[in-house]
Amino acid sequence: MLSYSKDQRKFVLLMLLPAFGMTAAFFLWPTIYNIKNSFTDLSLLGLRDGGRWIGLDNYIELFNDSDFKKVVFNTLFWLTFVSVSIRLVLGFAIALFIESQLVRRLRLTVPLRMAALLPWATPDIVAVTVWKQIFDGRTGAINNKLVEWGFIDQPIVFLGDPSYVWPSVITIIVWNGLPIIVLTMAAALQTVPRDLYEAADIDGANSWIKFWHVTFPHALPALAVLGLLTTIWTFNNFIYVWMSTSAGPGTFSNVLATEVYLQAFVNFKLGLSSAIGTFMAALALVFGIIYFRYVVTKRFGGLM
Amino acid sequence: MTDVAINRSTVKRRKRGLARKHSPVKTAAALVLAALLVFFFASPVVWIYWASFKPSASLIGTGTQGLVFTFENYKNVWKNDFGRFMFNSLFICGISVIISTSVAVCASYVLSRYRFAYKKWLFGFLVLTQTFPWIVMMTPLFIMFANLDLINNHFALMFCYVTITLPFSIYLMVGYLEALPRDLDEAALMDGCSRFQTLRHIILPLLAPGIVATATYSFLLMWTEFLLAIALLTKTSLKTLPLGLALFFGEETVDWGAVMAASALTTLPALLLFLPVQSRLVAGLSAGSVKG
Repeated sequence: MLSYSKDQRKFVLLMLLPAFGMTAAFFLWPTIYNIKNSFTDLSLLGLRDGGRWIGLDNYIELFNDSDFKKVVFNTLFWLTFVSVSIRLVLGFAIALFIESQLVRRLRLTVPLRMAALLPWATPDIVAVTVWKQIFDGRTGAINNKLVEWGFIDQPIVFLGDPSYVWPSVITIIVWNGLPIIVLTMAAALQTVPRDLYEAADIDGANSWIKFWHVTFPHALPALAVLGLLTTIWTFNNFIYVWMSTSAGPGTFSNVLATEVYLQAFVNFKLGLSSAIGTFMAALALVFGIIYFRYVVTKRFGGLM
Repeated sequence: MTDVAINRSTVKRRKRGLARKHSPVKTAAALVLAALLVFFFASPVVWIYWASFKPSASLIGTGTQGLVFTFENYKNVWKNDFGRFMFNSLFICGISVIISTSVAVCASYVLSRYRFAYKKWLFGFLVLTQTFPWIVMMTPLFIMFANLDLINNHFALMFCYVTITLPFSIYLMVGYLEALPRDLDEAALMDGCSRFQTLRHIILPLLAPGIVATATYSFLLMWTEFLLAIALLTKTSLKTLPLGLALFFGEETVDWGAVMAASALTTLPALLLFLPVQSRLVAGLSAGSVKG
């Protein structure tokens, strides 16, 4: 750290002010306003009149509503838990495959990495767009092939049929979000010290033992950070569900992010929407605090 | 000498490892798996570009099939204001990136080099804004900007884009700054540089690669941002690329050719910018610093 002097305080303040002033204005005010609105019956049509104070009514309504329970379940289970687990398990497995001796000997490591970069560089909105075309009920590539090869008689409306909608949405998310796991884990695997494997070889360890006692412990920290970040990003994501199914069919694939939008801009219930938003932000806060305590503090602890 | 000897023996052992025989069945399985993976990852992207040159009718199976290529889709999206959207996106993202990165350099320099009270709280605040669901802010921001008469104002969106990219830019930049030795700053200050001169003339040139990576990543985040743009821009002529892309879904029947051309145009700059910095991002990610 630099030595203390009189103009230090001024310099520090001057350098921090633009960044933190703007961030505070952008995040704090809307958050407070949102919490305030969640206690009113504010409507999008009556913005000028403002809302009436109704205390905890919005929250009570939510927690007694079985539809809302389904929305929370969809968000936590399908959107977040299932899609994140698939990405972590598959991503780690593919990273192991890409970095394996056999693939390296076949000189396939680089082509595989290049291929994986493509979905990562694709914006989420474009990813949904192209998969919507691939999944399309009448003209999509998958339906064409399935009918052509005689697996099905009638095309499947992948994004409109309750029994296919979550697997289809999760396929889109996995396609778009798998590469970041694959490439990061592949990089992490390269940092495992080689002599550990050699030592294990000398001790006569088989590849299963080598995996559990050398590879896995070394890969675990990176996998944990990725798991946490992916969970936060997916939980917060509005694009995947909204652009692919518009929360449908009906409200079958509704999640918290789309419910905030639907209540505000379709049902015009800004008060209720704010209550849902506050609930959602509180859940995200839990992830954020875990992230801060176990990732940021570990990395920059010396600075704080 | 011993170092060299050890290195040589490791190289030999590695060569032996590489030359180890793998059974033909295993090799074949690996080849098939690799082919499947490449197909799964690459085919949708290849499809975007392929389909963007196909007549729309052939995409829904009614028109002529086979190898017919056309620029019709690109002409179509161009006629529908896509050039305008692209210009808007470039303008908004370009200016926002410059502001965001400059502000982030200042804040991260001080966070990395100076000791002061409440620093932990500042870091905590940054992290929590990174993990905050943006959808929750849509309504309050819309009302706030409507009251200030800033709907359909590009500068309002720029303000949003600067602030949403600031937290992770600062976080990334502190990481890069930590890799630069502190003696440099101290020597410069001893030699009579002002605090600002030290940052400007000593640190900034060394930080350049980190700045490029951070700026690129901010740009990509803004380039594909959808939620804030849709809340703040309602006039078609002011919209950005992602909104323009969504416009092509608006009608009853989707013109897939046009949608693919629009997707291709949205993705191309992202691809070109992304590839050079991706290895840096991978390195930063395991440290938990990148937003994806």
